[in-house]
Amino acid sequence: MPKLSLLGLNHTTAPLEVREKLAFNAQQQAAALAQFRQKFSSSEMILISTCNRVEMYAATDAQGEPGVRQMIEFLAEFHSVPSAIFADHIYQKADREVIEHLFSVASSLDSMVLGETQILGQVRQAYEIARAAQLAGPVLHSLFQRAISVGKQVMHQTPLAEGRVSVASVAVEYARNIFEHFGEKTVLSIGAGKMSELVLQGFVALGVGKLLVCNRTADKAQELAAQFKGQAVPFEKLAEHLVAADIVVSSTGAAHPIITRTMFDGLLRQRRYRPIFLIDIAVPRDIEPAVGEIENVYLYNLDDLQEVVSRTQAQRKDAVAAARAIINAQLEDYLASQRQRELGPAIHQLYKRYHQIAQEELARTLNKLPNVSDAERAHLEDLARRIVNKLLHDPIQVLRRTDEMHLPASQYLHALEKLFQLDALSSDQSDSAPPTLPPDSEDGQAP
Amino acid sequence: MPDVPGTGQLVLLFAAAGIFTLALLLSLLRFFNAGKTSLRTAAKACIYLGILMGVAVITWRALARHSWLPLDDNFDALIWLALLLALFLTYMQRAHPLGGLDLFLLPIVIFVLILAAIFGRTKPRAYLETTWSLTHLIAAFGGVVAFAVAAAGGVMYLVKSQQLRRKKMLSGQGLGSLERIEHLTFVSVSLGFALLTVGLVTGLVRAIDTHGHNSLGPDWYRNPKVLLAFIAWIVYALVLHSPINPSFRGRRAAILSVVGFVLMIGTVVAVQYMPTR
Repeated sequence: MPKLSLLGLNHTTAPLEVREKLAFNAQQQAAALAQFRQKFSSSEMILISTCNRVEMYAATDAQGEPGVRQMIEFLAEFHSVPSAIFADHIYQKADREVIEHLFSVASSLDSMVLGETQILGQVRQAYEIARAAQLAGPVLHSLFQRAISVGKQVMHQTPLAEGRVSVASVAVEYARNIFEHFGEKTVLSIGAGKMSELVLQGFVALGVGKLLVCNRTADKAQELAAQFKGQAVPFEKLAEHLVAADIVVSSTGAAHPIITRTMFDGLLRQRRYRPIFLIDIAVPRDIEPAVGEIENVYLYNLDDLQEVVSRTQAQRKDAVAAARAIINAQLEDYLASQRQRELGPAIHQLYKRYHQIAQEELARTLNKLPNVSDAERAHLEDLARRIVNKLLHDPIQVLRRTDEMHLPASQYLHALEKLFQLDALSSDQSDSAPPTLPPDSEDGQAP
Repeated sequence: MPDVPGTGQLVLLFAAAGIFTLALLLSLLRFFNAGKTSLRTAAKACIYLGILMGVAVITWRALARHSWLPLDDNFDALIWLALLLALFLTYMQRAHPLGGLDLFLLPIVIFVLILAAIFGRTKPRAYLETTWSLTHLIAAFGGVVAFAVAAAGGVMYLVKSQQLRRKKMLSGQGLGSLERIEHLTFVSVSLGFALLTVGLVTGLVRAIDTHGHNSLGPDWYRNPKVLLAFIAWIVYALVLHSPINPSFRGRRAAILSVVGFVLMIGTVVAVQYMPTR
């Protein structure tokens, strides 16, 4: 019976320099799966590789391969790195823990940014790649299908994925609340630092019409403008650029505000009172707070944006319990369905076999009782059937509840085979002779 | 021909207003519980049911008085106004969804239906007299529909602007963007202004043509309805003026579009209390 195993490392167990050595891009992922298939042809494997995690999910074959050591060696060989580099950072899980972990990953509970939705797509992609490589067999196929479904359920039924979790994304969200058509809008970046770059990325993704970068150091402005196919403009003509702009991102290192109320009041008529979105992410602030009091001017500073981020994070933390409840319910449901799948045929066989024994014994008894009527025969057949059912009832119930006792179904199946040996059965039969049989019956021997 | 609507018609009208109120409550619940598609579906169903009930009132009344002409009196006119606004809302929801529009249009629909019920209890005023009257009536009525949409847009703009100023970010589906709301308001005011202008001119022609022998009387130019309509026309002219004098854009234009609609509703109320000739 296949066993589920997981070997992996993530942002909580391994630093970036280790993770990047073991990461797989799409081509490497396909190549790795092909190699894996050559080595372990009767096993299943799905490989999840993102910037925060590398995880190998395997369903072992009859020989229990691949084992943990083989998986570590596989990783080391594929990336040509000594296993000692990452051995201390890996975690390994088996069976129930693997399922629980994968459900948490797909629901983004295990992500660096709680509630991020990208991971669900990455899990799906990993599954698709493995399926194309014919490495997602019946075990991993059903597991990943369920994990994707759990991830979707958590995203839709809990507020885990709601809100924005970075200053840049909050700024973009506010802009979308002010403007509708970005193709005709001009974005002005005052300063060319890292923060500006992050915020500009968001606006460029919205498809803004024009991007102006204005910085005291012209070279830096040129560099940032080139990165986003924008235009570097002179800092000295800031007022002119403010007239043209619809969205302004300011993050200079100036000690005093560079945009004052007096300055902006003078620009209103030239701007034709168009709405403007000012994002001041500089510390100390670049824009006087009084500018935000002007009609049609929407000014947000770093604290305003950060507050939304904090609120989102708190809200997401509150949603973890609800997400966990969904995962636990789905985990139990999945395990129950798996147990049914595993035990169903065995239980069927067991009933078939013992009913057959009962019928044979009944036939032998009836042969010695020539005057039994049809009605009596029917009663005796029913009696034999009920005895078998009652005898098997308890062990079958225990089998169906195996997970409640935290033992895999396979162990119980094995025990079942041992417990219901033929000799044991025959002794059971002699101990519990049917009460309706005549008292002088000498039978009761095993066939 | 019965002068006033029957009790049954009024009951059905109140029931329609109740259904629209339920739609409004469901929309509010959905607004504060983003992602609840069941609430959105229920609200939409209520709006469709409300429209059907309104149409039923109009039909019932037409059957009762053996006249198929709509807009015969204030009762008909106000119900049609509410129904057209509700239909416009369903069209927007289907073709150009604008988050939260139902929250601002439905109160107007409910208010207008209640006005119809109140004025329906008194003797309704006949409108139709001449061709000029018909043109005047259709133009003025179309103008009011457009101004109602503009007023809803104006209030929506003020709320949205206030949300942004308070730096309040609603999770999930909130109101549409300021730019889109402003565009809706501006287009509605432009259309309404054109229709109101036609309505005023044709009304003037009618007054001159009849030499004062009309429902407004010889001193028609001092009539509150005429004065209110003229003031509303000036207010809307100011709103439309905003592209030339942009200081009227944004919040000020939104306030003016609401004021204009209040004046337009004032003309409907005023006509109820004018002496009949």
